[in-house]
Amino acid sequence: MSTPTDISAEARADWGALSQLPGNPIMWVLIISELLVFGAFFLAFGVARLVDPEVFRAGQAVLDVRLGGLNTLILVTSGWMAAKAVQARVGGRQGPSRRWLAGAMALGVGFLVVKGFEYADKLAHGHTLESDTFFTLFYLMTGFHALHVVMGLAVLAIVGWRNSVENMETGAAFWHMVDLIWLILFPIVYLVR
Amino acid sequence: MSHMSNEDNAAWSRRLTRAWLLLVGLTLVSLAAVLGFGASEAGMAAAAVALAAAFYKARLVLDHFLDLRRAEGGWRAFFAAMLAVILGGLMATYVAAAYLSVP
Repeated sequence: MSTPTDISAEARADWGALSQLPGNPIMWVLIISELLVFGAFFLAFGVARLVDPEVFRAGQAVLDVRLGGLNTLILVTSGWMAAKAVQARVGGRQGPSRRWLAGAMALGVGFLVVKGFEYADKLAHGHTLESDTFFTLFYLMTGFHALHVVMGLAVLAIVGWRNSVENMETGAAFWHMVDLIWLILFPIVYLVR
Repeated sequence: MSHMSNEDNAAWSRRLTRAWLLLVGLTLVSLAAVLGFGASEAGMAAAAVALAAAFYKARLVLDHFLDLRRAEGGWRAFFAAMLAVILGGLMATYVAAAYLSVP
């Protein structure tokens, strides 16, 4: 259908097994590395909890599960909108594509606002990065993830501007990776206690 | 990746919307499991439900939003295995924690 896609498929022929994956292969290298890094982080969290269960129980009891749940619903909806933006772009519908993307970005900003409220509340109650092992890991893991949300918003802004099919697929893939990491982080940090 | 598959636009829309609704539904199920039973005797079962839901949600995002379903089976198995190691490893630490805390 679209020439850019065909060219990129050809240019990608040398990527071996990675060329079978949708979007830019480099993005999949990034997705796999991010999953490994966050995966190691998550397992370290589980082991630290095993060593010091009381500190983790007390820390998790302070967290607001509803805020974590709200942010999960925000991110999965944002991911759906990003997927819709790609779908519209593939169909050549530029206007709707940009509107879906703007919606995805607005929800991304909403995620950060909720996160900001949450951090402000925790800090106001004296729970800082240095309070205990739980809060150190809480701020590092959620902060590192929030940083990815900020980078994801920048990526979405760039591909919304230079919106070739290839760019849109690649930018959305980064956003879905951010979503994916949160889907694992949420039950581990907020839910399971 | 070309989207010149047999799937028409309406079917593509339905698939994305179904994936999104499942993601929302599974989030609510895991919230209900943990808020309802997390602190009870069934806490370990609630943990298992939340982690299983996370596994399924991650695969929904991979398959439908990231379009991994178009890739060959080996890739899907690779990502499923990676998720299983992370979430299974965490479940093992929860089981160990519960076992160790019993006097």
